[in-house]
Amino acid sequence: MQFGIFTVSDITQDPTTGRTPSEAERIQATLAIATHAEEVGLDVFALGEHHNPPFWSSSPTTTLAYIAGRTSTLQLSTATTLITTNDPVKLAEDYAMLQHVSGGRADLMLGRGNTGPVYPWFGKDIRQGLPIAIESYELLHRLWREDVVDWEGKFRTPLQGFTSTPRPLDGVPPFVWHGSIRTPEVAEQAAFYGDGFFANHIFWPASHTQRMIALYRQRYEHHGHGTAAQAIVGLGGQVFMRKNSQDAVNEFRPFFDNAPVYGHGPSMEEFTQQTPLTVGSPQEVIDRTLGFRDYVGDYQRQLWLIDHAGLPLKTVLEQLDLLGEEVVPVLRREFAKDRPADVPEAPTHASLVQAKYGDDAPRQATPNANRGDNLTLGSPYQDGPAPAAVTSTGSAFGPAATRTAGAR
Amino acid sequence: MTTRRIVVISAGLSTPSSSRQLADRLLADSAGLLRERGVEVEAQVFELRDLAHDITNHLLMGFAPPKLEEALDAVASADGLIVVTPIFTTSYAGLFKSFIDVIDPQALTDLPVLIGATGGTPRHSLAIDYAIRPLFTYLHAIPVTTGVFAATGDWGGGGDGVRSLPDRIFRGATEFADLVERTDRSEMVSDPFALDRPMGHLLGGLAGE
Repeated sequence: MQFGIFTVSDITQDPTTGRTPSEAERIQATLAIATHAEEVGLDVFALGEHHNPPFWSSSPTTTLAYIAGRTSTLQLSTATTLITTNDPVKLAEDYAMLQHVSGGRADLMLGRGNTGPVYPWFGKDIRQGLPIAIESYELLHRLWREDVVDWEGKFRTPLQGFTSTPRPLDGVPPFVWHGSIRTPEVAEQAAFYGDGFFANHIFWPASHTQRMIALYRQRYEHHGHGTAAQAIVGLGGQVFMRKNSQDAVNEFRPFFDNAPVYGHGPSMEEFTQQTPLTVGSPQEVIDRTLGFRDYVGDYQRQLWLIDHAGLPLKTVLEQLDLLGEEVVPVLRREFAKDRPADVPEAPTHASLVQAKYGDDAPRQATPNANRGDNLTLGSPYQDGPAPAAVTSTGSAFGPAATRTAGAR
Repeated sequence: MTTRRIVVISAGLSTPSSSRQLADRLLADSAGLLRERGVEVEAQVFELRDLAHDITNHLLMGFAPPKLEEALDAVASADGLIVVTPIFTTSYAGLFKSFIDVIDPQALTDLPVLIGATGGTPRHSLAIDYAIRPLFTYLHAIPVTTGVFAATGDWGGGGDGVRSLPDRIFRGATEFADLVERTDRSEMVSDPFALDRPMGHLLGGLAGE
């Protein structure tokens, strides 16, 4: 089972000091948080995407690529990548690149985004959010699996003879999670492709998560990817810890009361009761987290939100220390107990390569010397079917590149 | 014996409240008429005053605390809805509208509704037709044509001497009971987590799989 953290990249005033960090400061803090996550033994760091202040993470692959360069085992993911307002072609390219530079440590979580104006800013209509997500992902899925794609849809310009480069590392696309709070169609989408499903699981009652996961598992089996128990499930969570439970409550309360999402609404006590938020000792976090399994079954990935609402860097790093030293080792041990042998771990690049190639060498996509020009006669890659009627013209571009022998 | 479920929402803010009093009378007449026709009535009454904090939290957080969820579930699966709000500053009470705002936009489709309102003077009685009725029309509910407005004077001798408050209540209740008797809404399950468009349909407009 994988454990990690995710951030939404909010830049929020520290309510205890009245100080708001700059963008530069918060970006550097996040890089420190990510590298420390690996140091304390966590498995995953996931980064959100926003296109408006007070958030900074507009370009997740740039950030994650840097973190990849500073770490060696950390799995890099997103929370979430906007499948609605991003061009699926650019997503295919960007995340394949991240996969290459990180040595296969990249996956991504797709979501629709809930900031209304982002849609028109990127030329989209929020009322079409779900149809866009369905169409765009179908294209993204093909771009990573077919060297040359002809495609036509409703929400982006058509493609003729397009090759998304670089090809996925070792010919294995990054693993995809689909995130949704309460849209059954997204659970169905994840199940249809045999992808992972990630339940936000913070800010909303556990009953929503339970219903969505149950639907996803049932449909995963229906679409023939395995049994319901073998579906790939991830959960969010939100914690604040101190050794002494009451210290955690006292210290976190001003951050809770003023947090952009739930501040000035329900009390912290109501909210911890009604949602998975846990404020208390490491043991309380352990107990609560182990309870998640009771209503979603054995699952693959647990991510926590620990750095939002203006919490200072030092505090966040201390939270990571507690997670790494006291919480996660116990959770690894306890979650492993009674876990059926046929429930898989979260897919990694290594496991996906193994599943696809066994002991054979994985594909290393190598473009033809004087092609690589995306044209549709045969494959642009050396291991593709050779184009029968084409002889080399010595030109990679322009009409000469496609001129056939007969036409000469 | 047939059973129909009626949910009553009162947005009166004081205790006791004349809105609640009107709501109780609307329910009593409606239930009486239905029972005369051999229809058993199960009624649930919610005072929004008790749910005011939960409603605000729902507006801020996007989900219903347990007590409010119970009320929302009851409304969504009702055979008939009786609503009464005080008229404040030319329109429904803000708390009433906030409650309407946290109802799932599909949850009231085809739901018979009996509208009541209270106010200091009869001069506000048209608020039922220019403010409250359009809410329910927008939500595809079925508000009956008679809305019952109770001004303070209606509770004594200062009301309408020709068409008294009890007459108006009875008329509204009769129209409402007719619709409630005929609907089978509460037997239809509306589950927001149910998948009604499988992937074949989502991807290519295919029906079913």
